[in-house]
Amino acid sequence: MSKLVLQSLTKRFGGLVAVNGVDLEMTEGEILGIIGPNGAGKTTLINLISGIHVPTSGNVFFDGKDISTFPAHERSKMGIARTFQLIHPLENLTALQNVMIGFMFAQGMNQKDAGVAAQKTCESLKLEHVERDVGQLTILETKKMEIAKTLACGPKVLFLDEVMAGLNSDETKDLIETVKRIAQEHNLAIGVVEHVMGVIKMLTARVIVLDAGEIIAQGPYNEVSQKPEVIKAYLGGEA
Amino acid sequence: MSKYIKTIVMAAVAVLAVAFPFYTGAYPQSIAQSVLTYMILAVSWDMLLRTGQISFGIAGFFGIGSYAAVLSMLYLNLPPMLTILIGGIIAGAIAGLLGIAVLRLRGMYFAIVTLAVAEIFRIIMTNLKGFTGGPEGELLPQLIFQGNPYLTYYLMFGMAVLTIIISEIFLRSRVHYALTAIRNDEIVARSSGVNIFKYLVIIFIVTSVIQGMTGGINAQTYGFVTPESSFSLDYTLLPLAMALLGGIYGTMGPVVGALLLGIVSEYLKLYIPYGHLVIYGIIVVIVILYMPQGIVGLAARIRKAGARNE
Amino acid sequence: MKTSKNLQLTIVGIAAAIGILLILWKPSVLIYGLQGAGLYAAVALPMALILGIVGIINLAHGEFMMLGAYLAYWFSTQFGIDPLLAMIPVLISMGIVGVITYKTTIHRVLGAPELNQLILTFGIAMVLSQVVNLIATSQPRKLSLDYVTASAKVGELSFGTYDFIFVAAAVLFLAGLLFFLRRTKLGKAAVAVGQNPKGARLVGINVDRTYLIIFSIALGLLGIIGTLFLTSHSIFPLVGGSYTMKSFCLVAMAGIGQLKPILWGSLALGVSESFIMSFQGYGGWADIVFFAIIVIVIISRAYKRTES
Repeated sequence: MSKLVLQSLTKRFGGLVAVNGVDLEMTEGEILGIIGPNGAGKTTLINLISGIHVPTSGNVFFDGKDISTFPAHERSKMGIARTFQLIHPLENLTALQNVMIGFMFAQGMNQKDAGVAAQKTCESLKLEHVERDVGQLTILETKKMEIAKTLACGPKVLFLDEVMAGLNSDETKDLIETVKRIAQEHNLAIGVVEHVMGVIKMLTARVIVLDAGEIIAQGPYNEVSQKPEVIKAYLGGEA
Repeated sequence: MSKYIKTIVMAAVAVLAVAFPFYTGAYPQSIAQSVLTYMILAVSWDMLLRTGQISFGIAGFFGIGSYAAVLSMLYLNLPPMLTILIGGIIAGAIAGLLGIAVLRLRGMYFAIVTLAVAEIFRIIMTNLKGFTGGPEGELLPQLIFQGNPYLTYYLMFGMAVLTIIISEIFLRSRVHYALTAIRNDEIVARSSGVNIFKYLVIIFIVTSVIQGMTGGINAQTYGFVTPESSFSLDYTLLPLAMALLGGIYGTMGPVVGALLLGIVSEYLKLYIPYGHLVIYGIIVVIVILYMPQGIVGLAARIRKAGARNE
Repeated sequence: MKTSKNLQLTIVGIAAAIGILLILWKPSVLIYGLQGAGLYAAVALPMALILGIVGIINLAHGEFMMLGAYLAYWFSTQFGIDPLLAMIPVLISMGIVGVITYKTTIHRVLGAPELNQLILTFGIAMVLSQVVNLIATSQPRKLSLDYVTASAKVGELSFGTYDFIFVAAAVLFLAGLLFFLRRTKLGKAAVAVGQNPKGARLVGINVDRTYLIIFSIALGLLGIIGTLFLTSHSIFPLVGGSYTMKSFCLVAMAGIGQLKPILWGSLALGVSESFIMSFQGYGGWADIVFFAIIVIVIISRAYKRTES
């Protein structure tokens, strides 16, 4: 059964339709690519699923339950986790403490257990320097910490919003392997937003292409990327 | 190592504070009590600030507590200690209702509402003439502990210790993580499962209860309330300046700031009876512009820099 | 869309009904309410300008108006000129105060968290009111001017007419600001900066200078309104505080960046206050009206936000 189901999900901001009638299903163990030109509604879609925005119409089902109006922190507890396009590590806390927050509040652990669990998660991601203040981490370490923070929420569905941005090719490879591994280990449904098509190609079995808030194509990357409407959307977006 | 030193210093200060009244006269003792009063308000203000919310309503909740304590004693004949608790409960209840109403929007909206709190309750207390004594206020027939200055001092001291303990518990428990996350980025906090509204309302209530009880103790000590003195701007501005000067987001900063400014303020009051608040205004402006981490933060930085050089 | 239009019509209908009832029952409430509304709107408009464009909630707003009033008092008593004439030097002085305040303080917290901005301007408010308290003492000051007592009589009803000057000021401020923001180059630049400072910088607008000018203009306007305030009210160092809150209340009600709705909000606030004041012995409660409005505004805004 599909873990996450979107039914004609729509979001308007004033006169602007950011997401328009999106239908989508995601199953466990699947990595889905979400692509499209700038302003296509990718981040808004994630915001709707994670509860940052309330949909104008349409529904979000999780485990068969309609969660369209649930607040963000409830969804996080249920197992919907996400990273943010603009990374915002919590200052005045160490990397480990950043990761502990999810264990404590999304999974309800006490402080001590959360510390142990966070340590384990960081080790599994090969994230070192966990005692450092977040300001002193390298870019790759910061990105890994962001992923660790989402794993700390005990996710069943996970969205990664441009986590590869700003990494060099070695670091990107490293992170791609990491994402593949956690998808298997935790049996997650993962949605990946990326601008680098190479990443999408290596990571995902299926992609959806968004343009002006609508899904204009879906299927394996190699098929979708040949479709004229997709090419047009990208060229049109750049012109 | 530094942890031991800190503990020793804290213990020494506590012993000093306990022994203080036995070696000094009535005047230093009343100054000490006023320093403790401002210290409690400063620490409680900082506790709410850790969520990223600013309250300009300290004087409001302090005044509400003062009035609740005096009126419940006058009309219900309750024992003084109980009226102090009632002062806290009523301040907390008002904060709870207000928080539920306005904490969905934060930042400047919340700050403005708290700014209005003191004003509003001052107006209410001035105009409910039959109940509150109007502009002249109310006088208590007798003082708490029959006016024994030692006991009132220890009562305020106990309140200060309680406040510091609550503040430290908040800093060491999961509450600290929730508040730091909320202050940093509300959306990230929500996405990590933090129910930010719940935490904000709870902290707002707890700090208001503390401020209300402090007002209650103060009113019971001096035996009267008036709209002008109980809702005085001093109770908002001084704690704010103290916490900022000492250093925000911790217990130590407001405590240090209160000790420093509290003693200075007594002398300022003597020399410039009208307008001494200008000094606090200037302190607030200068600290926010040039040393936002305060004295404690500055000391920590110097220590760190020293350690790095070694 | 349709429902919001219906809602608007209903509100206008209710307001008109209340207005007609008031004219029949207590016409003076409407007149004094209108005069009060003029003052509120005139004070709130500069805040809307600063908040909408510089993006800073200036908690010293009312204190700057108070400073303008004291400056006017000083100019008019020192040089024996009519306070309305003193408006010109006050305007200039307040502009200079604006430049100095911006350069020494506001400028430094523009990029800082909202927290720092709130505390800073709160500190400035304290400094202003306490410095005036030190120099001029807390004793209220009032000028006795002949023309202020001008009155008119309509049928049985006689009322002071001078305070309509605030209505005129509010309308002039609004018209002037709208003209400035829509028609002048600087005004258009300011709007662009208000909406998107980074974008404005990219297209070559000097953002910092725009902030400086807007801030100083707002303070100049406060100087004018402070002068007018002095002519018909008594002034004291703490007189400005409640105007900060009332102005914010009106700006929040109108929506940040909006100017015109401030007039309607002021009218509601002014008339409600004057309605309560018309009951003998209950006048002291009038100041609570705006608090109720603030809370209602904030709750409705919070509700709207969760909708969107």
